[in-house]
Amino acid sequence: MRMDAKTDELFAYIERNIARTLVDCTSCGKCFDICPMTAYSDKLAGKTGGEVVAGILGILRGTAGTPEAVEWTRLCTQSARCIPACPENVNPMLMLRLSRITALGSTGGEALLPDGKRDPHFFRRINAFSALQLSDAEIAAWQR
Amino acid sequence: MMGTVSERVVFWYGCNAIRHGDIIHSAIALLRAVGIESDPAGGPAYCCGTAKDGNLAAAAGMAARTVEKFNTSGRDKVVTWCPSCHRHMGTFMGGTNTINFEVSHITEMLHARRHLLAPLLTHPLNRKVVLHTHSGFHEVNSNPLVADLLRLIPGLELVVADYSAPGHMCSALAPIPAALKDVVRKSVELCAENGSDTLVTTFHACQRNLCGLATTDGIKVVNYVILLTAAMGMAPPVDEYAQWKNAGADAAITESIGPERIAKIGADFFAKQVLPELRKPTEK
Repeated sequence: MRMDAKTDELFAYIERNIARTLVDCTSCGKCFDICPMTAYSDKLAGKTGGEVVAGILGILRGTAGTPEAVEWTRLCTQSARCIPACPENVNPMLMLRLSRITALGSTGGEALLPDGKRDPHFFRRINAFSALQLSDAEIAAWQR
Repeated sequence: MMGTVSERVVFWYGCNAIRHGDIIHSAIALLRAVGIESDPAGGPAYCCGTAKDGNLAAAAGMAARTVEKFNTSGRDKVVTWCPSCHRHMGTFMGGTNTINFEVSHITEMLHARRHLLAPLLTHPLNRKVVLHTHSGFHEVNSNPLVADLLRLIPGLELVVADYSAPGHMCSALAPIPAALKDVVRKSVELCAENGSDTLVTTFHACQRNLCGLATTDGIKVVNYVILLTAAMGMAPPVDEYAQWKNAGADAAITESIGPERIAKIGADFFAKQVLPELRKPTEK
């Protein structure tokens, strides 16, 4: 999977941050409790923060976590309200991002989430809007 | 109108902001007004890679390429527009690449120079506006910065409600349609409760997702940089994206864009990839 030095550095960065999260997070669940997105899934109804966060740590450990943890990972919109809620100075928003990366199968494990951002026309559409909105000279100077 | 140039920076406007040429041009004009000359950079060739969580090799390559371009730009500061790019630079990009430049967000740059901006805002805008805010850009507390900037505009009555939408901008909510609809509905309610017909956005993705409210609810959605440049007396640039979004039928959208521009991107691609986005209503 690892192809070059830059990709290796990114993997190492992800692994370092996962390791730090696994050390620091106590699964107290405060981040889950304050999350404004949990109300948008029936799968999370009645679940406690502690059990869902424990599932997130499972995803980060590569042990698949729980369906509820995968669901919370899917729901994260980076509201950042979890960051000041954490009593251990973990960045739970980054923890969820790392969970997402892992759940997508990007670090070599089983894919638990579909990659909704895999859109083959994503960049071509951006270039199309560039052509509609900017002059040729601006595109040549600003986007090469 | 132009301030004395005291600093020259890269203005990194990101990828998706390109849907709003009026915002990019106005942001550049505002930076210039406070003495910052910018080298604009954006589009896919400067993508941060944040959308590539599912392909880390691509993410790493994009990040390294973009950082290298900035390292060799000859500028020691990069001014960001997009909160996603700003966040990605402060985490994954900066954590895996050597960065030889400072990074600041445009709201910080403008706010720090608001004493230079204020005397230029001589054209009153006599209207009441509601600021659309999100909670998620924790790296930069942009909501009060933008509010302070808007309060410099003579005649403008600003409403800052005790509500911030989840996410760092509306595009973050798109994968959870019910959440995005709630935010749209709440935004409409805030305008109604406060007797305002204008919603002010900070970020391009909110402008993109909300500008259709002109058609559905009679609410004008405008970015803060447009209001600031208007208060400077600059002719307001046309928000073409909103114009297209609110044009109605396919024929009207197509006519508004014009055959020459459509030919540049290919009629087939336009029909299959651009038109559906423009046709998509703002739902609540």
